[in-house]
Amino acid sequence: MKTLGKIHHRKPLEIVSVASDCGRAGRLAALGFLPGRKVRVSRVAPLGDPISIEMEGQEISVRRAEANLIEVKEVK
Amino acid sequence: MIAAAPARPVRIALLGNPNTGKSTLFNRLTGLRQHIANYPGITVEKKTGAMVLSGRQIELIDLPGTYSLAAASPDERVVMDALGGRFGHQAPDLIVCVVDATNIKRNMLLVSEAAELGIPMVIALNQWDAAKRNGLQINHELLADRLGVPVVPTVAKRGGGLEELKKAVGHALAEPRQIPRILWPEFIEESRDLVCNGLEQEDVTGPEALRMIFDTDSAFADKIGHKDKLPGLLKAAREVIRSHGMNPASAEAVLHYRHLEALLDGVIGGDGRVARTRNSVDALLLNRFWGTLIFFAVMYVVFQSLYAWAGPLMDLIDAGTSLVQGAVSPLLAGTPVIQSLVTDGIIAGVGGVLIFLPQILLLFLFIAVLEDTGYLARAAFLMDKLFGWCGLNGKSFVPLLSGYACAIPGVMAARTLEDPKARITTILMTPFMSCSARLPVYVLLIGAFVEPAYGPIVAGWALFVMHFVGAAVAMPLAWFMNRCILKIKAQPFILEMPDYRVPTFRNVFIRMWERGREFVIRAGTVILAFSVIIWALLYFPRSESVAKNARETFVAAQSATMPSVEVAAALANPDSELSLKLSHRIDGAYIEQSYLGRFGKAVQPVFDLAGFDWKITVGILSSFPAREVMIATMGIIYNLGADVDEGSDDLRSILAQEKWHDGPRAGQPVYSLPVVLGLMVFFALCMQCGATVAIVAKELNWGWAAGSFATMTALAWVAAVIIYQIGSRL
Repeated sequence: MKTLGKIHHRKPLEIVSVASDCGRAGRLAALGFLPGRKVRVSRVAPLGDPISIEMEGQEISVRRAEANLIEVKEVK
Repeated sequence: MIAAAPARPVRIALLGNPNTGKSTLFNRLTGLRQHIANYPGITVEKKTGAMVLSGRQIELIDLPGTYSLAAASPDERVVMDALGGRFGHQAPDLIVCVVDATNIKRNMLLVSEAAELGIPMVIALNQWDAAKRNGLQINHELLADRLGVPVVPTVAKRGGGLEELKKAVGHALAEPRQIPRILWPEFIEESRDLVCNGLEQEDVTGPEALRMIFDTDSAFADKIGHKDKLPGLLKAAREVIRSHGMNPASAEAVLHYRHLEALLDGVIGGDGRVARTRNSVDALLLNRFWGTLIFFAVMYVVFQSLYAWAGPLMDLIDAGTSLVQGAVSPLLAGTPVIQSLVTDGIIAGVGGVLIFLPQILLLFLFIAVLEDTGYLARAAFLMDKLFGWCGLNGKSFVPLLSGYACAIPGVMAARTLEDPKARITTILMTPFMSCSARLPVYVLLIGAFVEPAYGPIVAGWALFVMHFVGAAVAMPLAWFMNRCILKIKAQPFILEMPDYRVPTFRNVFIRMWERGREFVIRAGTVILAFSVIIWALLYFPRSESVAKNARETFVAAQSATMPSVEVAAALANPDSELSLKLSHRIDGAYIEQSYLGRFGKAVQPVFDLAGFDWKITVGILSSFPAREVMIATMGIIYNLGADVDEGSDDLRSILAQEKWHDGPRAGQPVYSLPVVLGLMVFFALCMQCGATVAIVAKELNWGWAAGSFATMTALAWVAAVIIYQIGSRL
């Protein structure tokens, strides 16, 4: 299983889980990073981090370290 | 209608996510009738404003923008405390929820959380125009039906829907209504009761208990204490949730979103794509090459405006100050103490406050424009990697860059950082940036010692390097602070990329006005007080005998080289060269005999380790209120008068000739290369700026201000001592 912070393409993805129970995972969940949601890495900052993520018509950028709390799978 | 008018004003809170136009709406509703203060003990600003609605006084509270009520720090707890009427807050009578119409579902999470508190609500669907442009079809009447409260489409930026919103608020006050609360599954209620019953003697409400369970690092739990049993209770409660197959950290969001799916079903039509224009603009502005280039171009303009364009305005204020001094001074000539207090203490102090205004107003002009257009978020996205490692983030760039012109607007600009930990760190690092007031000292010392010895190329490089000494120390220090000192849990750096918008003149103007007024009122008073105190330390005790002795010594010395009749004749004319020299001598003698001068002599042994004599020490001490004073003080101490500047050849040559009169170094030059380098590094690191101390105290608190002052001064001293001790042995 891949985590969102390790994605280096812009193909559509689906969130499988936000497994960690740290407070940061809770913050991401509040923004809507929840299992079943469709996401896509839309942009990468010039220095490689943070990354910008498209989800349900909104664009939110997070650092790769935090994106790694989110497990994703590719959608065919 | 409510029959009797209540004795106190009605309290209405504005609640919403960041970037919803909440503050714009606040500005629209209150105009300039705003009051900004700090919530006690934390660094979040409390914005309240007054408005009148059908004859009733209303106090409007602009709560900090937030995505949820989760709170890991006291700063974040403010929203929950304010809504719940906890810890000195008074609960509002009504909440106006500002919901971004382009992103209703996510915005409603916060509303759904707040609904738990049982306060009547009105929903403002803001940015209604943008939602339409993005192809969303929102059935706001259906939404109002579902929620059971008024739902008003608004365009705060242009004042659209404002009248309807006010009407709805009036109705809601007369007929308070709440939105349907979430029905928690039994196991959540079970976990909540577990905590509530376990803390029976403590008055913890159900929503507060749930906050502690859902928030892994709960600031509310930290606040109420009960270190003995609370952690055990929370662990057991979370275990209940886990045993039902849910992650306690995300359970709240999962359940609220499930609740919202049902409420919002059929309300939002259209595909809600990210606007196409925005995508193509982002493709350029966030491009690896062009984006970076444009970023530096924008920042260059911001920096130039502070560094250069503010100059004429500042000169104007300076000239104005001198004009007022010149006009007032003769009126008080009868009493020299009052004359000096008013001109050198008070008028100079007021001038010293106003002098910062051009830079503050210009910086906030740019920040308001950059923020309102949506570019500031892009800039932070581009730069974040540079700062992330030491606990700062992409939004630290503008404050730190501004610090290179002046720390005051830079520290104020740190308001743009939402994360309390990163904001504190940014504020404390900003004074390390080499502000323009340090430049004259570098120019004087490099011009007097480095350039004659090593040539203009080395001198140029020395000046360049000096600009990065502070930053080079600040970054590792920030890293250390984040690791070891700041006990706040780090929060994820979340940057929402807002749509590009055209800023409105009104909003930009209010931002500038707000910041300028706040600076003058809140920091200005402290800066003025500093100015008067330092004036007193440099003026008193001022015994007559000091001037008399200085005069006698001077006359005796002059009479040795020329006939004493000529000396007396020259001194009889107050405009003669000799009279001017004598008055400089007397000024020098007074400063030596002043309390600050005596203090300087007393603490000179401390600075002796860095090779500084008492004159340098007094110069340093007198520059604590404002480092640019150093040059003028040196002028007075070396009997050249206060009107010297960093280019003065007289001052440069006198420094170069200055020798130790006694002690182990008698006969050696005072300004050896290690002393000069140490002195420059001392200036680079030391917080010699009363205005910065005042602004840090106002933005954070006096504890942080004192800590920052002590740390910077200690670092500066240690660095100067190391440079001198190693340098003088090579």
